[in-house]
Amino acid sequence: MKIRVQHSIISSILTMITLTGCASYPRLLNFPFDSNGRSLNSRSSELSPYIAGEFITFISDRNGSQDIYLFNAKTRRLIDLPGLNAFDEIALNPTISEDGRYLVFMVVKQGQSGLYLYDRTTQQKRALIPQIKKEIRNPMISSNGERIVFETANNGQWDIVITDIRGNPLNMPTNNI
Amino acid sequence: MISPLKLISVSIIVGFAFIIGGCTPGNLGSISSSLNSRYNDEQPAISGDGRWVAMVSNRYGRREILLFDVQQQSFVDLPGLNREGAIADSPSLSRTGRYLVYISSIQGRPDIFLYDRATRQSKLLTQGYRSWLRNPKISPDGRYVVFETARRGQWDIEIIDLGPNIEIDQPDGIL
Repeated sequence: MKIRVQHSIISSILTMITLTGCASYPRLLNFPFDSNGRSLNSRSSELSPYIAGEFITFISDRNGSQDIYLFNAKTRRLIDLPGLNAFDEIALNPTISEDGRYLVFMVVKQGQSGLYLYDRTTQQKRALIPQIKKEIRNPMISSNGERIVFETANNGQWDIVITDIRGNPLNMPTNNI
Repeated sequence: MISPLKLISVSIIVGFAFIIGGCTPGNLGSISSSLNSRYNDEQPAISGDGRWVAMVSNRYGRREILLFDVQQQSFVDLPGLNREGAIADSPSLSRTGRYLVYISSIQGRPDIFLYDRATRQSKLLTQGYRSWLRNPKISPDGRYVVFETARRGQWDIEIIDLGPNIEIDQPDGIL
């Protein structure tokens, strides 16, 4: 009799814990830390994360060069980006469209710095806007993959430019590269 | 034959016109309605549908977050977001611009806030979080927020799940 009462008390406590314990949001998600650099976080630094759909793209220097990485939050694996990173380039501020096709980022490289677009279907990287005369920073693609915004140094201050996916500024006042 | 009196009056009128109109640069437009100003406009974040751009601007004499409607080409109000005595920084937008995640501080430590344009209220997301943090970004559906954390003595990535009970940000008419 006593055992049965105890058992019922314990089981009711357990159900209470499971019911209340899982319902507390917002909460932090646990992604495994991997010292071999095959997961989201590593022994090196991870910078400027961006999330769209199941994709998380970020910067890491885990391979000795500041490169762009793409992590699938559903399968919890890194996705290969063939032809995107190079050892003589510093990559900055990656963002991705929600379908996972386009990545937009900055590349700093001797002589050829600028705003770049990478297409995952063709695995090709190309410069959208070369940084010749004006400094560019903080680019971002809209998650539907249609527009890009970034900052440009203009007349001694930072201005904002909105372009389409090919880098042509939208036709509106004060929107100039 | 033009009389000298007429010439003087004409030149005075032309001079006045230059004084009034000459100093405003033509390409800037009026301060309130154009994307850029003569002050810093930084940290642009575009909504998933490409219609809204959030930014940090100094154009009204303080550093604050503004929201620009690309379709209407005008700014919209964000009541309750920019507070007296605090700097709001690093804005990020969800799909239709309903949710705006940003960094501000209450007690001198950076915290991540979520502003809901439907309820016009800000919610503190990092209550009790014990590390330095920066660069928050919200997912297009509005459920997840990624940010950089200094928890392990270097910059790493952390993800907040706002839970299955939030209203997902999606265009009208899609279920």
